Amino acid sequence: MSPLVLVAIALITYGSRAAAVVLLPRPNPRFETILSRLPAPIFASLATATLLGDGGALVGGPTLAAAAGALLLSPTRSLLLCLIGGATGYAAAAWLG
Amino acid sequence: MVALSLPAAAAVAVFGSLYGAAARGFLGVPLTLASSLLVYSGALQFAVVALLGAGATTLPLLLTAGVLNLRHLVLGAALRSRFASGPLRRALLAFFLVDETFGFAIAAGNAAEPRAVGAATERTLLYSGLTLYVAWLVGTVVGVLGGGLAAVEHLAGAIFPVLFIGLASLAVTRRSHVVRALAAALLTAAVALLLPDLRMLAPVVAGVVVALPGGDR
Repeated sequence: MSPLVLVAIALITYGSRAAAVVLLPRPNPRFETILSRLPAPIFASLATATLLGDGGALVGGPTLAAAAGALLLSPTRSLLLCLIGGATGYAAAAWLG
Repeated sequence: MVALSLPAAAAVAVFGSLYGAAARGFLGVPLTLASSLLVYSGALQFAVVALLGAGATTLPLLLTAGVLNLRHLVLGAALRSRFASGPLRRALLAFFLVDETFGFAIAAGNAAEPRAVGAATERTLLYSGLTLYVAWLVGTVVGVLGGGLAAVEHLAGAIFPVLFIGLASLAVTRRSHVVRALAAALLTAAVALLLPDLRMLAPVVAGVVVALPGGDR
């Protein structure tokens, strides 16, 4: 791969990041309502995607246990507690497995 | 919120080292380092290395960059209304927009007083973005130097689902958000099973699909 292609990839990447952040006008209330619904589903989807490997196979036991630990503490709506729950789940599964 | 980005930074450094070790053979040391410096996108950089390994030419590389980066349009749109600053500052902040920093910025904005949402969102995007950027660069350098952290890859990999579950819980402010989040998770799993080639795009597509219909309760 040439340096020019790398620069092109970098420009495409930065352009995609800046396009909405810089060029999009402040959204109207209707559009803003829809946008406000996006984060929770996107994070839930990202969590799901990180639990699935190639072909949709589930990741290893400790990672699943970490996710379960975090999910268990998610009603607390505390990122710190979710991280602690995840660490506990991972440690427990690694110790048992 | 920035302090809570440190576990994510540790995981990013591990994956940076794996990237550095994998990319060195295809790109050489200077381009490997330059790619992390200029692109700052783990998913895309790993995909580029995989494509180069399969003998891909320039066009597939650029198309892949375009497709994988589509999700930034949605993430940027969701953040846009929270920014209070002018276009120049937003242009600087845009460089640090990745999945994780988007989450930290949204969570910081949700936790702030209404008048301080813009400042909290922008400050968090900047500081967590810098933290993860430095971690990605350090990891790449470690990998290029042959000091891969493969031994802790599984531990690092476990941080991301935990992080995203925590961020999802922070982003839920209505009961309907829980329903939409569960629907999006199911949709993502279905796409991963049925259309594995679209797996990288599934989270944002699923997020948009479930965000559109109905009202808020």
